Amino acid sequence: MQVEISRRKFLQGTVAMSVVGGTAVSATNLFASDGHDSSDGGTNSAIPDSITTKTGEAKEVRNIPTLCEMCVNKCAAIARVEDGIVTKLDPNPMFPKSKNMLCPRGNAGIQALYDPDRLKYPLIRTGEKGEGKFKRVSWDEAFAYITEKTIKILDEEKDNRSSFLFCAGEGMAEHTFKTFYQGFGSGNWLNHASICLQTVASGYGVTIGAYPQSDLENAEYIIMAGANRAEAIVSPDTMDLFKRTKGRGAKLICVDPRFTNTAAKADKWLAINPGTDLAFVLALTYVVLTEELYNKEYVEAHFKGFDEYKNHVLTSGYSPSWAEPITNIKAKDIVKIAREFMAHAPKSIYYPGRRSTFAKNDFQLRRAMAIFQGLGGGIDCKGGLIFGSKVKIKGHSGLEPLYARAESRAIVKKKDAKKGEAGYDDCAVVSGGGSWLGWRNRFLENKMPYKVRGMFCYKHNPMMNMPNTAKTAEMLKRIELLVCIDTMPSDTVMYADVVLPECTYLERTDPVKTFGGVEPSIAQRNKVVDPLFETQPINTILRGLMGQLSKPLFEITKKYDEDVQEELAELEKAEVDENNETTGTGQTAEEKEVEVYAEFDLTKLFEHDQEHTNEHAVHDYPGAAEALKEHGVFYPKMSEYYKQISANVHQYYPEKLKSYSVFGGATKTASKKVECNLASMAKKGVDPMPTWRDDYNFSVPDGKFRLMTGRHAQFTQSGTANNSVLRDLMPENFIWINKRVAKEKGIAFGDTLEVTSSVGKVTIKAYPTEKIAPNQVFFIHGFGEESSALTWAYKNGGNDNAVIEDVLEPVYGAAAMHETNVEIRKV
Amino acid sequence: MARYGMALDYKNCINCKACEVACKEENGVTLGADKHRIWVGVKEIEGEYPFLSISSSTFMPSQCQHCDDAPCQMVCPTNATYFDENRVVRVNTDQCILCSYCMVACPYDARFVDDRTMTVDKCNFCSDTRLAQGKTTTACQNTCPTKVRTFGDLDDPESEISELLRTRDHFSLKAHLGTNPKLFYLT
Repeated sequence: MQVEISRRKFLQGTVAMSVVGGTAVSATNLFASDGHDSSDGGTNSAIPDSITTKTGEAKEVRNIPTLCEMCVNKCAAIARVEDGIVTKLDPNPMFPKSKNMLCPRGNAGIQALYDPDRLKYPLIRTGEKGEGKFKRVSWDEAFAYITEKTIKILDEEKDNRSSFLFCAGEGMAEHTFKTFYQGFGSGNWLNHASICLQTVASGYGVTIGAYPQSDLENAEYIIMAGANRAEAIVSPDTMDLFKRTKGRGAKLICVDPRFTNTAAKADKWLAINPGTDLAFVLALTYVVLTEELYNKEYVEAHFKGFDEYKNHVLTSGYSPSWAEPITNIKAKDIVKIAREFMAHAPKSIYYPGRRSTFAKNDFQLRRAMAIFQGLGGGIDCKGGLIFGSKVKIKGHSGLEPLYARAESRAIVKKKDAKKGEAGYDDCAVVSGGGSWLGWRNRFLENKMPYKVRGMFCYKHNPMMNMPNTAKTAEMLKRIELLVCIDTMPSDTVMYADVVLPECTYLERTDPVKTFGGVEPSIAQRNKVVDPLFETQPINTILRGLMGQLSKPLFEITKKYDEDVQEELAELEKAEVDENNETTGTGQTAEEKEVEVYAEFDLTKLFEHDQEHTNEHAVHDYPGAAEALKEHGVFYPKMSEYYKQISANVHQYYPEKLKSYSVFGGATKTASKKVECNLASMAKKGVDPMPTWRDDYNFSVPDGKFRLMTGRHAQFTQSGTANNSVLRDLMPENFIWINKRVAKEKGIAFGDTLEVTSSVGKVTIKAYPTEKIAPNQVFFIHGFGEESSALTWAYKNGGNDNAVIEDVLEPVYGAAAMHETNVEIRKV
Repeated sequence: MARYGMALDYKNCINCKACEVACKEENGVTLGADKHRIWVGVKEIEGEYPFLSISSSTFMPSQCQHCDDAPCQMVCPTNATYFDENRVVRVNTDQCILCSYCMVACPYDARFVDDRTMTVDKCNFCSDTRLAQGKTTTACQNTCPTKVRTFGDLDDPESEISELLRTRDHFSLKAHLGTNPKLFYLT
């Protein structure tokens, strides 16, 4: 067989190569100490002149196992350190989750460590909020400033701890920061969940008891709808799946409005209308029920509410011909897929995915998917969805003082909510991570039940990560004290009053973590090199801050908290012995205060080094602490089980010891069954069974386009936007527009387009392609930063959230990202 | 002494470009869209939405083919391009005069100019980095999420790559040119 291949004939990647010619920037010289001045007046003397493993002149070479933090997956890496410089990141073959791989971002972690734009020193704002003008201060000065402002606010708010908002991005040290939040006693915690996978996690959670993993190594038939594992890499799913597609054991049905890289690997691609997946699943279910293709034994044993659900689907008439006009998927394709899925079941998977909420019906979609999966019996079994097992590690005790004056979470209950309606302003269920959009909007509308004036923000970038950037900017301007702990001068950091620079993941040891699954293990992020500049790990930062803040916080509590005042007044009396004689002197007020303060002493939370805490966590396993330092990975009998089978295959567990089935097919709900009909949800105004509503129909007014967003393999949201090597792969984002539509509008590749919605506008270059429908446009999230301290990312491409409208998904108040129509104009 | 080659299970490729980054990091390759020792070829998809041809949308991971009869080596006037002891096609930068004959001669477009040394650069199977450190494989093979590559000694009948080529159908790029590439695409 002969194949003609010429590299120049191809587009490199999506659009990268055709855009920018060879820029003469050198990867190695990029880090030269050229006296590059950042806004804080620092220099880059700590950044090496060149990086490569080529020289062979290193006096000392060390290989240190760590865990990647370029995205949320936590793949295992081995850092090669030559004379103190990290010269290469290689995959760590010993970790069952990532199976000896590092993706492009994982490889580019070196550029996160040696990014000249990194935050280097503590900073205090000198300019206007958002202006990005700061002065360099010492850690003590920064802590003193935070303490003074925090105490002032708490004094004025009479010790209402909830006058401070705490928010954090996902990460291994998120927990460390959360202990600060718990110790501080605020009720306002917002994390990434409501702008991420809240609805999918909860949809599966209430239906089968947990968000499951997928055994893509053994599944024979996979429906991947609204998930894009070829571009949004998840370990081990991505690695397991694509070795077996294309007629090699796994049949892949890709359902996506766009033709993605996953579609390119699929046996069939179905161009579904955005937001109509629920109708597709309901129609699949209809076929399976009417043709009685479901696993009757499994349904009998492990379903609750099956008859009601069956009746609901059939009487509602969710037939393939009903779904065809809604979804744009042919009825005959739906019938065929339903039959094929069940023919391969239980080794067939309707892939749960893990993405942001796209449509308002996402929670119901996830419920319908989980139930459909159950109909095939592919739960808790090889080739299906699995719960797996876990290697238990020890937790450590936190500190959760009770503050009488602290209000609960700032939620607004509906005053006139009738029975069977959502009880809150912006959601039916209040989740642990809250509704970020709902919270922000209530704050801006002055609907908060009390004043929130301060905000501690840990590695979280609200300016980039949620819809309607203009509103987020307004919110951050109104926060009186914004403290940002981060590694990079992000758009959010530009609004900070105090900036505390954290070191990158390669410069710190993080809490040891256990990874459940078919092949469970424990893994640890070990410090590779000492922190550069004056950066510190979060544990050390909070230790320093608590050193100054803890006592004054307690003083405020003493001033306002009646419970604490009463407790302090109750001095222990001197003991009286059997001869009725008083012994000792009794408790002094000072002694009592020491006793009470012990419950409020936040310094205790961070007094131990992370290494020490990690050793304690795995104390039950002999040799584990040592293995985690040496190999980065541990599980019982690892040395016996782990072996390399071939260049590309490693064994972690013998096949018969893998945790495919741990509950005999039962689910993890309280009833141990698949929950079809949730009466408890009905009380909150949520459909108890997945139901199609007319307002879910997809339509776009003439002249407009539905805006879609998404991820890809080379960047992680906005977090890697300034990474020079990744930017080399993809210099900026482009807007996909259907080729024929573009031609009609006179739009050519590379033309600048203005994209306008009701909340804002962005300019972005055009990529005409047939991979998208005529009434839709798409561009990748994470570009278009406004922080001028980011050399590479500043105003590079377009920010999707500047135009995405703040539409709330009704159950959890999650941000529904694909509900915005835009207009497009060539400029 | 070996005769190194590479087998590519190219259908595994998802065009994530991990190999490109690993190569650049390992070998200190400069930034720039034309500065690739390794790349993934992508064709524009055929058809009109929604009737698109999945089969037209392939990802072809590629790099220097390390031809056993290498046109680049034949045309080099200074012998800067040479076969090392493992039959890897290498460039001696001290001898390269940037005449660029090799770039023209290469049917695979596998060579480019390194702006720092002003010499021609190309994939060398990580010979002066990983192999020199005693590792047994290349950066691209090692890092690949979907494990496209198998690297090894074609002269060793016991090697994994030899076994793969004995048992799996495969093809070479532009085989009609008679360059005898040592990259093999498994079907």
